[in-house]
Amino acid sequence: MARTAINVDHVARVEGHGDIHLRIEGGQVTRCELAVVEPARLFEAMVAHRSFREAAYVASRVCGICSASHVVTDLRAVEAIFGVVPTDRTEALREMLIYGSYLQNHATHLFVFAAPDFLGRPSVFPVAETDPVLFDRALGLKALGNELCCAVGGRSIHPITAVVGGFTHELSAAEYLALAEKLEAAQEFAVQAVDLFNGFTVPDLATEGDMLAMVKPGEYPVCDSNTVRFVRAGYEFDCQAVNDEIEEYAVDHSAALLARAKRTGTPYMTAALARLNASWEHLSKTARYAAAKAGLRPLELNPYRNNVAQAVELVDALERCARLCRRLAADEFEGTSVPVAYEVRAGRGIGFTEAPRGCLFHELELDEDGTVLRASIITPTAQNVANLEADMRRLAEAMIAAGASDDELQLRIEELVRAYDPCLSCSVH
Amino acid sequence: MVVVGLASCFGCQINLTNAEAHLMDILSQVDVEYWQLTSSDPMPEDFDIAVIEGAVTTKEAAETVKALRGIADTVITIGACANTGGIPGLAAEGAGYEERIAAVYGATVPAACGTMVAPSAVGEHIAVDYEVACCPVEPLDFARVLQHALYGSNVQQLTATLCGECKRNERGCFYEDGTLCLGLVTRCGCGARCPSLGRPCKGCAGLSADANLKGARAISAGCGIPTGRFEEVLRIFNHGEGGGDSTEARSEREG
Repeated sequence: MARTAINVDHVARVEGHGDIHLRIEGGQVTRCELAVVEPARLFEAMVAHRSFREAAYVASRVCGICSASHVVTDLRAVEAIFGVVPTDRTEALREMLIYGSYLQNHATHLFVFAAPDFLGRPSVFPVAETDPVLFDRALGLKALGNELCCAVGGRSIHPITAVVGGFTHELSAAEYLALAEKLEAAQEFAVQAVDLFNGFTVPDLATEGDMLAMVKPGEYPVCDSNTVRFVRAGYEFDCQAVNDEIEEYAVDHSAALLARAKRTGTPYMTAALARLNASWEHLSKTARYAAAKAGLRPLELNPYRNNVAQAVELVDALERCARLCRRLAADEFEGTSVPVAYEVRAGRGIGFTEAPRGCLFHELELDEDGTVLRASIITPTAQNVANLEADMRRLAEAMIAAGASDDELQLRIEELVRAYDPCLSCSVH
Repeated sequence: MVVVGLASCFGCQINLTNAEAHLMDILSQVDVEYWQLTSSDPMPEDFDIAVIEGAVTTKEAAETVKALRGIADTVITIGACANTGGIPGLAAEGAGYEERIAAVYGATVPAACGTMVAPSAVGEHIAVDYEVACCPVEPLDFARVLQHALYGSNVQQLTATLCGECKRNERGCFYEDGTLCLGLVTRCGCGARCPSLGRPCKGCAGLSADANLKGARAISAGCGIPTGRFEEVLRIFNHGEGGGDSTEARSEREG
């Protein structure tokens, strides 16, 4: 019986450490694993017995790319317990912080991690020589994401200014307007990026799993809704009930806990592609046009198309943030961003946001002094691993049936892993 | 040069790429032979410089850093995790490491976790030639340290505390309203970034060689901050008795 095995140690151009193990015997896939071998840092246990004041500061360090999302999600969990209602201005700033991390994450993932596959390079660095215009504009977009996060959060990674109830620092109106102009100027290249990634040839693959995303009537929400939707199964639930709806489970080959939907028992994908499937019609106009031109419409089930979905979200983020900047400069939002007063009290709460890579949940339980009794974090990548493994298996089976070589199969599997934009350091945390 | 990540958020590696406008100027000074985050080129057998991010949290990682030291002429650690044990080091504070493993994984720890050991700084396992401070590192700080390693420099490491840096920013002092700030004992060099944006220092740059912990504790207590609170915040980034300060240096300083 013909046997072959594909083993990749530490898949390159992903955040964190993961190995691919694929074994094929007699044309059948007998082993298919994304082994998440990322060192466990035990975040949930380390914040226990500490003050709520540092919970978000510590949780930020779960991830170097989506730190803004971890901070906002953790603050929301604390605010759910204390009954804090932030002002509209604070909500607008948080939205901009999250969108800033979309720009950072998507530009880094698309150009530094994913694009070298399609350009036939080991990394993005040779592109500085072969296509300096593309290189400069791609890194320019990534730099703009950093600038946005710096402007709102005070630093490109691990934001400083976001605290319970508000922000400790804000830009001037003139600075917001200058930022709006830069965001608007970047729009043209972001639209080109949609075309660029849409032009790359990818295998025809339809995921069998579900898609999970935040939803809000009339909006493309990223941080201001409590409603979560399983797009294919067609039901919604409140984020406070996440433990009743999502089951986390351990497997030996992964330091990250995997996840499935409790009602249907199916694995699922949560990512830019899931958001697009859930809220396509509420994308900003330019982004919706770019998506339509790329033929990216609901229901899109090819996980490789997550790359194009991220490029569409770059367009969307730029347009939304430019508008937010202009509205902040014109003082159109109710209230200031100065942290609102609150009283510390005991309780349990769940924070929920759409991180760049998908739905992120932080659960906190505090005592009456605000000391953390228990914490639980469910990251997008941890939720995605089971679905990614199922997709890897389907892809391998199809490619073997079509007589693909091992090298070809390995490259396509690696591309699939990267298309999910996994953050393995996040997933284990 | 090779770049290796251990237990971390990958933020310091990401932040190296966040030097966008200067990235190729920085990296073109060396041959980047291995950097899993950005390239599929495999690890070479020989290299001159090893850049290490993250804390040592497994026996396997301890072996990795020893192997890197065995090959590299120069070892540069980047960020608080590698320099002091940083945030991962929190898992070994107070309640204890084994209990925390059980709290997360229950009785059966997945094999993929490797052989977990209490988190420690890279410098506890091997000699480190240069450290780039803070959580996360600033990309241009890395450029400065890399150039120091490549071309030599007579610039000495800063030893003063953040407090002086902050005073020059004229933003006032957190202790005026009884808020704990670790600028009193933390190594300067970041420009007092957090205090200037309204957040007290948490000590991510590590302790200053001039730190007077005894004095800082007295100031903190004098401002009505509970004693335990000072230690709680100090140990976010600086672990062990006296926040990782060596006993000898501490007794000398605290006199």
